[in-house]
Amino acid sequence: MQKDIVQQVLNHPKYLELVKRRTRVSMIFFATALIIYSGFILTLAYLPDLFAQPLGEGWTMSVGVLTGVLVVFSAVIMIAFYVRFSNKHFDPLLEEIVRDVE
Amino acid sequence: MKKTLLSAVLLSLFAQPAFASTGQANTSAIVMFLLFIAGTMVITWWAARKTQTTSDFYTAGGGITGFQNGLAIAGDYISAASFLGIAGLVYVSGFYGIIYAIGFLFGWPVVMFLIAERLRNLGRFNFADVTAFRLGQTQMRILASSASLLIIALYLIAQMVGAGKLIVLLFGIEYKFSVVIIGVLMMIYVFFGGMTATTWVQIIKAVLMLTGGTLLAGLVLYQFGFNADTMLAEAVRVHPNGLEIMAPGTAVSDHPLNALSLGIALAFGTAGLPHILMRFFTVSSAQEARKSVIWASSFIGYFYLLTFIIGFGAIALLVRHPEYFTTAADGSFNMLTDLIGGTNMAAVHLSNAVGGSLLLGFLAAVTFATIVAVVAGLALAGAAAIAHDLYANVIARGRSTEAQEMRISKISILVLGVLAILLGIVFEHQNVAFMVGLAFAIAASANFPVLVLSVSWRGCTTRGATIGGFVGLVFATVWVVLSKTVWVDVFGNIDPITPFPNPGIFSIPLAFLSIWFFSVTDKGANAQNERDAFDALTVRSQTGIGRSGAAEH
Repeated sequence: MQKDIVQQVLNHPKYLELVKRRTRVSMIFFATALIIYSGFILTLAYLPDLFAQPLGEGWTMSVGVLTGVLVVFSAVIMIAFYVRFSNKHFDPLLEEIVRDVE
Repeated sequence: MKKTLLSAVLLSLFAQPAFASTGQANTSAIVMFLLFIAGTMVITWWAARKTQTTSDFYTAGGGITGFQNGLAIAGDYISAASFLGIAGLVYVSGFYGIIYAIGFLFGWPVVMFLIAERLRNLGRFNFADVTAFRLGQTQMRILASSASLLIIALYLIAQMVGAGKLIVLLFGIEYKFSVVIIGVLMMIYVFFGGMTATTWVQIIKAVLMLTGGTLLAGLVLYQFGFNADTMLAEAVRVHPNGLEIMAPGTAVSDHPLNALSLGIALAFGTAGLPHILMRFFTVSSAQEARKSVIWASSFIGYFYLLTFIIGFGAIALLVRHPEYFTTAADGSFNMLTDLIGGTNMAAVHLSNAVGGSLLLGFLAAVTFATIVAVVAGLALAGAAAIAHDLYANVIARGRSTEAQEMRISKISILVLGVLAILLGIVFEHQNVAFMVGLAFAIAASANFPVLVLSVSWRGCTTRGATIGGFVGLVFATVWVVLSKTVWVDVFGNIDPITPFPNPGIFSIPLAFLSIWFFSVTDKGANAQNERDAFDALTVRSQTGIGRSGAAEH
C-alpha cells in the first residue's frame, strides 16, 4: 500500500518537475546566502581596513557597521523571497500531485 | 490574588526610589517576576489538561501555527547569553559583537533552504526520526542522542551558571537559591505541560523581549534625536578604544582563520541544534514550517538590530553614570572592566539609565523569562533524546507502549532538572564561556552533516553516517578541549595545543568527507537497501504524503 503510493508519486509527471525545480531554487538561494555571508566574514578577516573606513566625510558609522546591518536585512529578505516563491510556484504543483495520488 | 498583584504593580510604580541599583531587591522586578510566574503557571495548568499522548508531550499535538512557532523559535533561540552577551560584546569591542549576531542569524537561511520543510515532512518528534528514516535505527538514534545530550548539557550548564549570576544581581538573592528556582520552574512547566506549556512560555518570553528591547533601543535613540550616527559619534568619543570600535578589531585580524571557523560553526550549528529542530514538529505541515522560519528570522534579525543600538548606546550613555561602576577612591573608573556585574550587565544598567527602575524591573523580568524559556526547551529536547531515541527505539526496539515512553520522558525531565541544578552549583566558579561555542561546533560538525546528507544524498549509508557523525563529534570536542579556552583557561596549562579555539573550518568538512568515504566504500546488502529506500524518503520529504500528524489534524 505504502509502496504503491510511492510508485504512483514517482510516476507522476509533475513530481519530477517539482523535485528538479525545488532543488535548483533552494540551491540558488543557499548559494546566494553563502556568498553574502562568506563575503562578509572573509572581508572582515582579510580586509579589515575596508570595513574600518567611515561612510564618508562627517560620518562616524563605518562601512563595516552599515554592511553588517544590511547583511541582517538580506538574510530576512532572502527567506521572505523563498517563502513567496514556494507559495506561488511549488504549492500549486504539490497540491496537484497530492490530489491525483490520494 | 489577582487584585493584590495588580495593586502591588500600581504601588510599585509610585513607591519606587528613582535610583534602584542592581544587586539589591528591586520591587518592580520582583512584581513582574511574580506576574510572569503566575501567568505561566495558569498556562501550565491549562496545558497539562491537553497533554495526554507522547505527541502532545513532545510536539503539542502538532497544533501550533507558523506565526506562533516563529515567536516560540525566537524565544527559544535568543538565550540570555546571546541577548545580554551580544549587547555586552558590542559594549566592549563595538563592531566585533555584530559579527556574532550575524553568524547566529545566518543559521536561518541555512535551516530554511536546506532542511526545514523536509524535516517537517519526515519526522515525528525530533530530528533523529529523520536521520533514522531509512538508515539503521539503533546507530542513528545512538549517534543523535549522544550529540544531542552533549549539546544540551553544555548549553544547560552555560545557561544555569549565567542565569544564576544574573539573578543574584537582579533580584539580590543567593546564587544556589536562584539556580534552584530556575530548575524547579522548568521541571513544573515541562513535566506537567510538555511542549504546549514550553511553547507558550517561549512565546510570552519572545513578546516581552521584543517589547523590552524596542522600548530600550527607542529610549536610547531618543537621547540622540533618533540619529544613529550621533549616538555612534558619542560612543567613539567616550570609548577607551575610540574609532577602533567601528572596525573588526585585532581579535579578528590576528587570527583570521579562527574568525572564519567561528563564522562557519555559527551559521551551520543552528541547523543541528536539537531543541531548535524539535520546534519544527509542533506545526502541522511543511508550509507552516516555512512560515515559522520567516517569522522567526524576522523577529531574531530585528532583535539583533536592537542589540546593536543597545550595545553602542550603552557605550555612549553608561559612562555618564559613575554609580554603575566600582570606582576608585578618587572617583575614577575604567568603563570596560569596572562595570558592576561585568559587561554582560551593560543592557541591564542601560535600562536603568534611560528608563528608570520600572524599565530595569521589566528587563530583569525579561531576562528571567528568557532563562526559563531556553532551559525548558533544552530539557524537553533532552527528554526526547532519552525516552524517544534511547529508550523506545534502542533499548525497547520499538516495542514499548506509548504510556511507557511517556513515563520515561517524565522521569527524564525530573532527572534533567535535578542534574541542571547540581551542575549549575558545581560549575558556579568555573569558566563556562566556551560551552555555547562548543555546543554550536558539535551541532555543526555532527548533527548537521548527517541530517543534510541523509535526506539529500542517495548514497548515504548507515555506516557512513555513523562514522562521519562520530568523527565530527569527537574531532570538534577534542579540538576545543585542547584549545586556549579549555586547555589554558580552564585546566591552567600554559600553552594551547590547537592553534585557535574554533574547530568548525576543519571539523565540518571532515565530517562530510568521512560520511562520503565510508558510504561509498560500504558494499553491504543493507547499504544497497538504504540507497533504494531513498526514493520513498524523497517522495515523503517533497510531498509530505504519509507524514505524521497530517491525518489527525
